[in-house]
Amino acid sequence: MKYEGKILLVDDEAHVRKFIALILKQLGATAIFEAANGRDAVEVFQRESPNLVLLDVNMPIQDGIQTLREIRQLSTDCVVVMLTSLANRQTVEEALSLGADNYIRKDTPKDEILASLRQTIAECFTTD
Amino acid sequence: MQLTASTLQVSQGTPPATRTAMEQRNAAKLKGRKILIVDDDRINIRILSSILQNEGFVITEADSGENALAQYAAIKPDLVLMDVMLPGVDGFAVCRELRERHGDNAAPVIFITAKTESDDIVEGLAAGGVDYLPKPFRRKESLARIRTHLQNRILSEQQKALVEQLKAANQAKNKLLGMAAHDLRNPLASIRGLAEFLCDGTVGQLTPDQLDLANTIFETSQSMLTLLNELLDVATIEAGELKLHKEPQNLSDLLEKAVYLNNINAARKNTKIVYSPPEEAPIVRVDQAKIKQVIDNLLSNAVKYSPPGSTVNVRISGYHPAYTVAVQDQGPGIPENERHQLFKDFMTLSSKPTGGEKATGLGLAICRKIVEAHRGAITATNLPQGGCEFSVMLPA
Repeated sequence: MKYEGKILLVDDEAHVRKFIALILKQLGATAIFEAANGRDAVEVFQRESPNLVLLDVNMPIQDGIQTLREIRQLSTDCVVVMLTSLANRQTVEEALSLGADNYIRKDTPKDEILASLRQTIAECFTTD
Repeated sequence: MQLTASTLQVSQGTPPATRTAMEQRNAAKLKGRKILIVDDDRINIRILSSILQNEGFVITEADSGENALAQYAAIKPDLVLMDVMLPGVDGFAVCRELRERHGDNAAPVIFITAKTESDDIVEGLAAGGVDYLPKPFRRKESLARIRTHLQNRILSEQQKALVEQLKAANQAKNKLLGMAAHDLRNPLASIRGLAEFLCDGTVGQLTPDQLDLANTIFETSQSMLTLLNELLDVATIEAGELKLHKEPQNLSDLLEKAVYLNNINAARKNTKIVYSPPEEAPIVRVDQAKIKQVIDNLLSNAVKYSPPGSTVNVRISGYHPAYTVAVQDQGPGIPENERHQLFKDFMTLSSKPTGGEKATGLGLAICRKIVEAHRGAITATNLPQGGCEFSVMLPA
């Protein structure tokens, strides 16, 4: 399936954004917006109203958890997938309780990330 | 005029020349050590005090058992000289009480006995005394015994301090290892992922030479990532931070998934992993991710060490309250003389992977730690028909 909605990709590390962006392109995504910290992410979110947000947890200036809170205040129906390094159970649980839809460990092989994103998109964006 | 140790020794009629340099150094090191003398006989105390004070020891006296306990608490002596016959509580009881209160940290107790009282000597040693001084005191012998025990005490204190230092250093090492591994993982995962994109042609077709280079980058970063993850596991486990989140799991489902995923890799070597599920669902309370890690490790090992084209058999046996996962490979088995190091950190055996795979020597050590944290057991047995069976027993 192809995903053609707007995607916001937030991570402070350029190599991660590059890697994840390639995966998103494989999914068919064309409208990918990027931000390197939580504050910029909220700004881009307000401007672009993306349907899907991939959100890193540990970031300078403003972390992913606080950013998630702010995004959820702006929109309850956009899909948020957290990007974690080690899946710290507490962080994951906190994010899910704050309304994140899923999480992905960034050290997962690309095909698994691809499969996981496909599944999330299928679950969240199928209207029938 | 202040008396120095050497003038004292001369005045005591001990020519310095009879002492070796080492003895002198040791005597100097022991100066200022605190000795508690417990005796109700004033003359005994005076004789011992004068001998010991001349050697630079600091003396405290007590004339009863009760008094001895109070003085011990007040001055924390390095050694106690204890008469057996005391008014009230006797010397043995005081000695036992000191060991009771202070355990292994109690100062060594040397009993003062008359030469003939051999029963006293035995009981004194049984009460926790380290030695005895026969009366009448002979200066040289008494000093030699006292010095020996003081030195032992210093050595044991130094050893304890050293052990503490080493513990702290090991903790610091684990922390550093953890931090380094953690910080290196993300960039490495990106390198691996980006190399994979180069390899699969997503960003344009590569020439065969370029593809070879990109593949090398992919495989190298892949094996570095495995090593880093294992180092991280070791650091976490050693720091006592292996936290298990146990939930009831269907062990058979876990195995089925793991077998499916590992068969993808195994297919590259034309090896098959065959799993025959049990009739009843084996439910165990385990940390799913950790046990998956153990199973993955056993499966990938079985593939790794079996010749290409092998069959790896996996099954679950047992019933509530303990189930056993058994993985049988067709590899060379475990050499008998290497068996003891199979589950230890950084131990790789003489048998090598059959398809050029890497071995870090940490995988099985981590498995053992995870399984033991679940109160289970992991064992390896060579099979009569060849190959080896690894089995993991997990309590329900």
